[in-house]
Amino acid sequence: MHRTAFLLALAFLASGIASSAEKLSVVRVNVTTQSWDFHRPWGKRQPLTRRAIGAVLPGNRVLVTADLVANLTYLELENPEGGRKVPASLVAADYEANLALLQTEADSDLLTGAPALQITESGIGDQLSVWQLENNGRLLVTKGPMTTAEISAYPVDGGFLIYRATMQIQGRDSSFTLPVVNNGKLTGILMSYDAQSTNANIIPAPVIQHFLKDVAGGHYAGFPRIGYAFSPTRDPSLRRYAKIPDAVTGGVYITEVLKDSPAAKAGLQKGDVLIRVDDFAVDQDGNFDDAAYGKIPVAHLFNVHHFVGDKVNLQILRAGERKSLDATLEHRAPESYVSDPYIIDRRPRFVIVGGLILQELSRQYLKDFGPDWLRRAPERLIYWDRFQSDLFADGPRKLVFLSRVMPTSATVGYEELNHLLVTKINGVALQSLDDVPKALEKPVDGFHKIEFEEDPKTIYLDAAETQKTERQVQMQYRLPALKFLE
Amino acid sequence: MIRPIWLAAASLLVVHAASAGPNEIRKSLCRINNTAQEFNYRVPWLPGQLGGGSGTGWVVKKDRLMTNAHVVSNAKLLTVEKENDPKKYVATVEFIAHDCDLAQLKVEDPDFWKDTKPLDLGPVPEIESSVTVYGYPIGGERMSVTKGIVSRIDFRTYAHSVMDSHLCIQIDAAINPGNSGGPVMQQGKVVGVAFQGLGGADAQNVGYMIPTPVIGHFLKDIEDGHYDRYMDLSIGTFPLLNTAHRRALGLPDDDRGLAVTTVGSASVCAGKLRAGDVLLKIDGLEIQSDGMVQIDGERMQMAEVAERKFKGDKVKFDVWRDKKPVTEEVTFDRAWPYTHQATSYEPPKYVVFGGLLFQPMNRNLIMTYQFVNPRVFHSFAHFIEEEMYKERDEVIVLTALLPDPINTYLEEFREGIVHKVNGTAIRNMKELAAAFAKQADEYVIEFESHGRPLVFQRTDLESARNRIRQRYNVLQEQFLGDEATTEAR
Repeated sequence: MHRTAFLLALAFLASGIASSAEKLSVVRVNVTTQSWDFHRPWGKRQPLTRRAIGAVLPGNRVLVTADLVANLTYLELENPEGGRKVPASLVAADYEANLALLQTEADSDLLTGAPALQITESGIGDQLSVWQLENNGRLLVTKGPMTTAEISAYPVDGGFLIYRATMQIQGRDSSFTLPVVNNGKLTGILMSYDAQSTNANIIPAPVIQHFLKDVAGGHYAGFPRIGYAFSPTRDPSLRRYAKIPDAVTGGVYITEVLKDSPAAKAGLQKGDVLIRVDDFAVDQDGNFDDAAYGKIPVAHLFNVHHFVGDKVNLQILRAGERKSLDATLEHRAPESYVSDPYIIDRRPRFVIVGGLILQELSRQYLKDFGPDWLRRAPERLIYWDRFQSDLFADGPRKLVFLSRVMPTSATVGYEELNHLLVTKINGVALQSLDDVPKALEKPVDGFHKIEFEEDPKTIYLDAAETQKTERQVQMQYRLPALKFLE
Repeated sequence: MIRPIWLAAASLLVVHAASAGPNEIRKSLCRINNTAQEFNYRVPWLPGQLGGGSGTGWVVKKDRLMTNAHVVSNAKLLTVEKENDPKKYVATVEFIAHDCDLAQLKVEDPDFWKDTKPLDLGPVPEIESSVTVYGYPIGGERMSVTKGIVSRIDFRTYAHSVMDSHLCIQIDAAINPGNSGGPVMQQGKVVGVAFQGLGGADAQNVGYMIPTPVIGHFLKDIEDGHYDRYMDLSIGTFPLLNTAHRRALGLPDDDRGLAVTTVGSASVCAGKLRAGDVLLKIDGLEIQSDGMVQIDGERMQMAEVAERKFKGDKVKFDVWRDKKPVTEEVTFDRAWPYTHQATSYEPPKYVVFGGLLFQPMNRNLIMTYQFVNPRVFHSFAHFIEEEMYKERDEVIVLTALLPDPINTYLEEFREGIVHKVNGTAIRNMKELAAAFAKQADEYVIEFESHGRPLVFQRTDLESARNRIRQRYNVLQEQFLGDEATTEAR
């Protein structure tokens, strides 16, 4: 409360200056988000409000990280000087590339006069500036050199290009997302900062341009993925084993091709040696020579140089023989994984039957165990998530599991059961949670037979009693619903 | 200061232990000093660090001592001392049972046995009855006596092996390091062997002793000159408390019967019991729906019936199968073979090949290396449940690389689990060593879920072998267990 009063007082002071001073290309972004509680899938957690700085782009649009607006409930933009706020909405968000585009209501003039930022790529050694705002609306600029361009992990999954810079960013209000500028042009959005090493990880211009171009196309398709894993071929024994001729200096050994991926559809196989992607030679470590960033992984070609629907040519060696494969790039939707890598802006699906809570495994469920989820979540669930492409290549489509039991008179003796993989209900093999209501329609001899992968293997519920106690469970535990399957 | 406390304790003792007062018990008690050598799982060819400690032993028969297995584990030299004798006598381990933390020792010198007196075993003491603990806690030179009451009789994990649970008695007398192996007495008879306590902020005055059914089991097992280990049903069970569950199985609402959930193919019950069976009686004793049976007036876990068996014994089950009663007889023809989850006191097995260190996964390995590959931990935790033993006896992990030009590009295989060598599936360390010993131009090693194989050329191996041995002082390239060691190639 103290802080608000202070800001209001400042706003009065600033109003006189702002009219004469040049308008800034940034805006404060106030975001309230509320995520679903995957461990109590019928409810949302408490709302969380964060403040950030957005970069103003042409067309009165504002760029921030997608992390900021995940599970959005309310969004507004605020004058840099503070004070005036207008509601805003989300144009598009890509949680994989961690970028989101915002816009004000059509009739708002909040951004009028704010010069739109142009976008520019940067090179190693360039002096980058991070823009923050003081409470009075003045720009606080922190400079530091760009040290690295590399492929690195993004919050949800996978890797994209990042810029890394060394700079000493100060703590300020509204710093969740910050624009990074090079010579007056936007070159990135700050994604994470480590105060100890003073390393700033920045979502770079090429990823931003890809995102904006995709949005401008009308139908947002996302960043494509090729769908293979590889091993370097520096080991001379492996090169000999893979029959790579001496004339070929580069190439990577394909160790896995994901089912139904663009790589699989193109005919790429485990054991192939990938030596060229389009016009770029693939070296022994899986890098190509990028004109701007030097040696970086070829994944950057598929993910960022190309768009969904593009064709790429793969030159390979199979048992020493050269072959040419054409792949059509696709985006892989999180829902298409056995265990969704992220579930954002979507409700978790669940079915409660006789007090047994059935859910589908997702990494989101695991991450709800907290920052140290890799230690705290059940080991088997982590294992299934991690090795899903290997373990569940032949199904099921989703892993239905009993997360825990809400004790009722019908579940006496079952209270302790948790995190068990449900394989069948009433003899029906489950491909996903969608199969559960159908399976429950056909009890066997008046009982629901529920089968698990692990002990106790089989339990039974009285079908009539389960139906009768449904309302009791709902009242007793004040549940808004007993299932959500959309 | 020692003397008055000693007397005070003694005067209390007289009340209950008229037949074995403090002067009497001295004839049966000794202090054991163990100079142990711990195994080195990171450098398994090294003999390991010297360590050890002291504990308590007691005369169990004319010329034999009893103590805990953990007091004498990994011993290189054992000495025993009696209270009123300055001499240190050399002792040797005759039998050691890591699964129930008991050991029997021999002392060759007849002088040691002069004026000693064996202690008799008593029954399982009653809850709330008093017991007296004798021993040499915190390494003291003189005997110490503490007194407590029996707080609880229960099944509990024995910390020495981690994997095994047996009957265990909780007492409220302090049991400290050094007490281990000492007798707990009541009415002049041994009713337990002090062996573990609960420390820290969690609990106070909680000590545990091994009760006489377990001691007696050990003594009977070794009568034939060989310790066979505990017999185990090795089945998964689930209590039948839910009424719908009971009705679905056609059982009356009488709180009887335990569901069988898993019968692994390595279990002694394989082919006799099936998943889905309901166990109604074991050796004629009714099994309650929570898995308890009534033995000697105490409610105990059904497992206690199997615990009291020996190799070759049989157990009879009354089974409810497909809604009909049947009987099945199970013979305990072998102890459970897969003990990787128990702490190992055997020298570590390993093979060094091309500078790569291969070791079988067990608890010691898991505790030594902080593995990050979740597959390694998964195979440790679920080896039995997922019946991985159908494909292999041992999970072999590439734990370390001794850097050399031959393996400089092989770092990605660290923590890999060996699957095949030159196309042949590898079940255990012996097969791995044999596959490496077999002449071939190249060795193609495949790892679990690793998309590329590891390949060595024979010529490279030959030139690297001595270089690696000398540079890293690899004293021996492999150890495959206690049987005759054969050098690779």
